Amino acid sequence: MSFTITCPICGKRDLYEFRFGNEERGPAPDQEGLTPRAYSEAVQMHTAVGGPQQEWWYHRDGCGVWFTTWRDTLTGRETDEKGNIS
Amino acid sequence: MKLKRLWGTSPFKSSYDAVMIGGGIHGLATAYFLAREHGMRDVAVIERRYVGFGGSGRNTAIVRANQRSQGNVRFYDEGLQLWAELIRDLDFNMMFYNCGNLNIFHSEAARGAARLAVSTAQMSGVKSLLLDRKQCKELIPVLNIEDNITYPVFGGMYHPPGGIVRHDAVAWGLAKGAARYGAHIHQNTEVTGIDTQNGKVTGVQTSRGRIASPRVLICAGGYGALLAQMAGIRLPLHPLTIQAMVTQPLKPVLHHVVSSGAYHVYANQTLKGEIATGAHMDPWPNYTTNTTPHYFKHQAEALVEILPFLQGVKFMRHWAGIADMTPDMAPILHGNDPIEGLYLDVGWGYFGFKSGPVTGKYMARYMAEARRPEILKPFSLRRYEQLRPTGETAGAFSYGPWN
Repeated sequence: MSFTITCPICGKRDLYEFRFGNEERGPAPDQEGLTPRAYSEAVQMHTAVGGPQQEWWYHRDGCGVWFTTWRDTLTGRETDEKGNIS
Repeated sequence: MKLKRLWGTSPFKSSYDAVMIGGGIHGLATAYFLAREHGMRDVAVIERRYVGFGGSGRNTAIVRANQRSQGNVRFYDEGLQLWAELIRDLDFNMMFYNCGNLNIFHSEAARGAARLAVSTAQMSGVKSLLLDRKQCKELIPVLNIEDNITYPVFGGMYHPPGGIVRHDAVAWGLAKGAARYGAHIHQNTEVTGIDTQNGKVTGVQTSRGRIASPRVLICAGGYGALLAQMAGIRLPLHPLTIQAMVTQPLKPVLHHVVSSGAYHVYANQTLKGEIATGAHMDPWPNYTTNTTPHYFKHQAEALVEILPFLQGVKFMRHWAGIADMTPDMAPILHGNDPIEGLYLDVGWGYFGFKSGPVTGKYMARYMAEARRPEILKPFSLRRYEQLRPTGETAGAFSYGPWN
């Protein structure tokens, strides 16, 4: 079975058409008083959740759009925000 | 015949001097060296499944010390020299076969990177040399050096002291050695939490009850990030699924480990005659061990181009494991920061097997003396915020004909 994710423009497509763009990290940290550790924590460290996580994808071999979706890292399947397979 | 168990079952105690989370070669080696070198025998190795279930039994058993940066080469070289000593000391045949590794490259850019890696090795006293394409063919007569393939061979980096070690034997031998010194190996026991108090580690919660311990080592291979989360630590890790497979057994034909960064493939013939091969990682995080038809196809195409005699040979088994990749392709060996008594042995990516015993040796020293050994200095977690990555990503594997 091949894994798929859903592009907001092209719909459900083969996962190998996409490039992974990292887990969603929230807004960039405030520059005021930013320490090297806090900066590193924001840009280099990952939570690497075991379960559903929101993440960025780029439709490289398709329409070229960047978007976020949810995927369960314990199964590799795309899910909704609650972790249910859509 | 009466069979003797290599290691038995032990009573589940409520406290130990040290707890290793992960019953693979890293945890077992650390337990073994804690007892052998530092006299710390009241230790436990906690394993969720069984000894060697994870990366220890899923890797393709290749060992080598031809990395790009000097700190890495020094460490892996000591690891390479440790196999013979371990085999003697454990009285267990790990089938170390130092057949040598040939890393072929397919462009000027990759040759430049290989030249730097060869220089690093030679500066570190490790045998490694640059071959041209004809010398590659002399070394491996079944290698295709013609121009009729996607990436014709330019030359290779030959590393004679590398080779293959039987990975199950390493896990079993180390388990036997650790148990002989009194370490308790608890299989089918899952760690569900890490307890801390006032910035110090106090123990672990497991599926069989709590264990109190002033020293806890996270050495769970690809699952390291999940365990670090239990202590509130985020790491620069991506757990990626890495796939491997073996062909049907053949008569002896391939007498070296061959690898190619551009084709993204490595292959070696095991002592059973199978061609063990692999390398593909899907570049998005997964804690799964799925294999994909996408990769069988890639692997078959790549192998038939560089080793044409494999055309028509059947793949027999395939499997996958998890590699926890750091951004600079070097591990994180870190302790007492930010939590006293909590040690990290994570981020090995696909280098965890070749480094297992030597990492155990130095993590044991780290845990016994609570001070970082000199050789582990390059592998601090803090190198990321200091913007001092190891430089390992500049290796020849990163360069292809597209550079």
